[in-house]
Amino acid sequence: MKFKLTWKIWLWIIILILSLISIFVTPTFLQKGVLVTNVQQNSSAFEQGLRQGQVIQAIDGKIVTSTEDFSKIIQEKFNSNQTVKTTIATIDAEYVMYSNEIDITVSELPKTNLKLGLDLSGGARALVQAKDHKLSSSEVNDLVDVVSNRLNVYGISDMTIRPVSDLSGNNFMLIEIAGATPADLESLVSQQGKFEAKIGNDTVFVGGKKDITSVARGGQESGVYDCQSAQDGYFCNFRFTVYLSQSAAERHANLTGALSVNSTSQGNFLSKKLDLYLDDNLVDSLLISENLKGRVTTQIQISGGGSGATRDDAIKAAQENMNKLQTILITGSLPFKLEIVKLDTISPTLGANFTRYILYAGVVALLLVAVIILIRYKGLKSSIAPLIICTSEIIITLGVAAVIKWDLDLPSIAGILAAIGTGVDDQIVVLDEAKHKEESLSIKQRIKRAFGIIMGAYIASVVSLLPLWWAGAGLLRGFVFTTVIGITIGVLITRRAFADIVKMVEE
Amino acid sequence: MEKGKFKENFAKFHDKNYKLLLIIPLSILVFGFVYMGIFYSQNHDFIYKDISLTGGTSVTINDGTINPTDLKNAIAGKLEDVNIREISDLVSQKQIAVIVETKSDEQQTRTVLENYLGYKLDGKNSSFEFTGSTLSQNFYKQLLIALLIAFFLMSVVVFLQFKNFIPSIAVIFSAFADIFMTLIVVNLLGMKVSSAGIVAFLMLIGYSIDTDILLTTRTLKRKVGTLNRRILESFKTGITMTLTSLFAVLAALLIVGSFSSILSQIFTIMVIGLSFDILNTWLTNVSIIKWYISKKKK
Repeated sequence: MKFKLTWKIWLWIIILILSLISIFVTPTFLQKGVLVTNVQQNSSAFEQGLRQGQVIQAIDGKIVTSTEDFSKIIQEKFNSNQTVKTTIATIDAEYVMYSNEIDITVSELPKTNLKLGLDLSGGARALVQAKDHKLSSSEVNDLVDVVSNRLNVYGISDMTIRPVSDLSGNNFMLIEIAGATPADLESLVSQQGKFEAKIGNDTVFVGGKKDITSVARGGQESGVYDCQSAQDGYFCNFRFTVYLSQSAAERHANLTGALSVNSTSQGNFLSKKLDLYLDDNLVDSLLISENLKGRVTTQIQISGGGSGATRDDAIKAAQENMNKLQTILITGSLPFKLEIVKLDTISPTLGANFTRYILYAGVVALLLVAVIILIRYKGLKSSIAPLIICTSEIIITLGVAAVIKWDLDLPSIAGILAAIGTGVDDQIVVLDEAKHKEESLSIKQRIKRAFGIIMGAYIASVVSLLPLWWAGAGLLRGFVFTTVIGITIGVLITRRAFADIVKMVEE
Repeated sequence: MEKGKFKENFAKFHDKNYKLLLIIPLSILVFGFVYMGIFYSQNHDFIYKDISLTGGTSVTINDGTINPTDLKNAIAGKLEDVNIREISDLVSQKQIAVIVETKSDEQQTRTVLENYLGYKLDGKNSSFEFTGSTLSQNFYKQLLIALLIAFFLMSVVVFLQFKNFIPSIAVIFSAFADIFMTLIVVNLLGMKVSSAGIVAFLMLIGYSIDTDILLTTRTLKRKVGTLNRRILESFKTGITMTLTSLFAVLAALLIVGSFSSILSQIFTIMVIGLSFDILNTWLTNVSIIKWYISKKKK
């Protein structure tokens, strides 16, 4: 046997190497440190220029190689509430800040470019439709804009929101959030968030850009204050300042100008209150002080509260309510009443185990295949070759997934398995045809004949998978994607290379 | 010598009886149609659907100390259609989680479970999957449509490939028989089919036709050797193909089966389907193609 690398084998090897590169050469390849996954906006780290995606290598000169290192250093540094100096070193810069806490989250550096789907890595997924209204595709696009903005303002960064549709022409908005699920995802996503400030029956201003120029979110103008013990626990108040547009401020002046002044023991206030409504529910009524009567003021204080079993819970609840209200005031209301038709929140705990089991299953299945082929064809070479080819098909499929950043969810993994199954079948066809020596055909012709069968089965498989792409709001796309990629790579590249190898062995 | 004699006898037997052999798949099919008729009139559907197709909530609680039976007794009256299974570690066999499935919605399920457990269920200790009933019914309808379109497209490809009516029908009929017989077994086992299960039926289309295409190509398009010889050669190849798939899927089922109901169902349906594929390719399809070719020769 003469071993000559044909161009098909070369192509296979090159694509295999490219796939390995695309899987394993991450942007942080060979670096040591921790990856910044989120930097709280307006925090001192953010102001100094530290951003998501950077790699922290050292803090105050101490080398950081793992998230444990990171949390240990941070805990030691910020155990008291004092403002201290922190130096954070990344690969190409140093950030110096003075603060009493560090508002960043980090993770280990990714070892591969593969992205696991929510069902394996943990996270939340919501499929959203309008209540009593069939959304058109442009309406969904508008919705996606408003909701992305809302989640961004709220502080959720690692998410994708996109419109999806299904075979019956229904349009949905699909929201996927990696990692921990925010507690109020449901209300953030589905709450219409129609905010109105009214005096009597007249609207003074509503949430959104038209009436509100900005909302204070930190410093002296925004925060939780004044916690008291209440009947069953604690109650805390929050307040923050909003800045109205000129037209809203004039409206305010006109409406307050018409009110009379009441004297109370706490001071002089106007006869009507400023009522705050969220989705038509009264959330708070604010007394308007006498000196605002008829004045064009662009600065308004909004307040509210939150309760909890302990003082800390109450503070947290008040903060969350404030954040939500600020979010709604900034981003305005959604154009529709929404309904979450599917909501999955997946804990990451089982995913890691599960990924390992899938690997075991794959290895065992491949070895079994090799054993069966060994028994049937009684040649070690013929049984090892399919092992190598199948493994390379998995690697190339994963390589493609890494390049286009496909989320590998459970359906995708089932798809990889399906593709491998057809791969083994095709190789058996090739092996078998190659060994039919009694016929007068040359090996080249026999292999060509094998591919006649293979391509027939291939085309039939691909067309039978396609309808699934559009069914079920695209949630099963992973299966179609990996199967089609896997078998296409198979019939065009890897199984061709296999045929060339078999040809050489037989000659 | 022994082997050669057996081959000869078997060929004789097959030449004489291959038409009769068709009775086996046909009787299964007749039984199947009667069974499915009764099944449909009782359940108003083709399958028992799980919550991914009826709507409901599935909760995975990462807690090894929950006793599934106690949990079921405690919540059965409070939630609709409760179903509980446990997940164990592959190596130690220790329980690591329980899965609760119910037709009730997410909020209600959460409240009832938290009351029983005495702690809050959050994103760390549990996973929730909720599907609304309208959406899941819609899913179901679409998956059936996808399955029908897939079958139709596959049939078109098969016709274009062989450009010959009866052999093409034989391939398509075998694929149909695979899926239909699998459906009957799935129903007989009382399996509640999920959306992933329907995908598995779709996968069967691809897996069942490759051996049929192999058989038809080799018997119809090739002229070397006797018909029986060509059938036998195809059988040797095809059975290796199906057996490798079958064993690979079985191994995967044993390893990941207890962990993921999605993959476990896909693999179970494939095991059943691949087994029927052996019957339908090497009995049904072989007999039809042999009948067709013998008749054409005359």
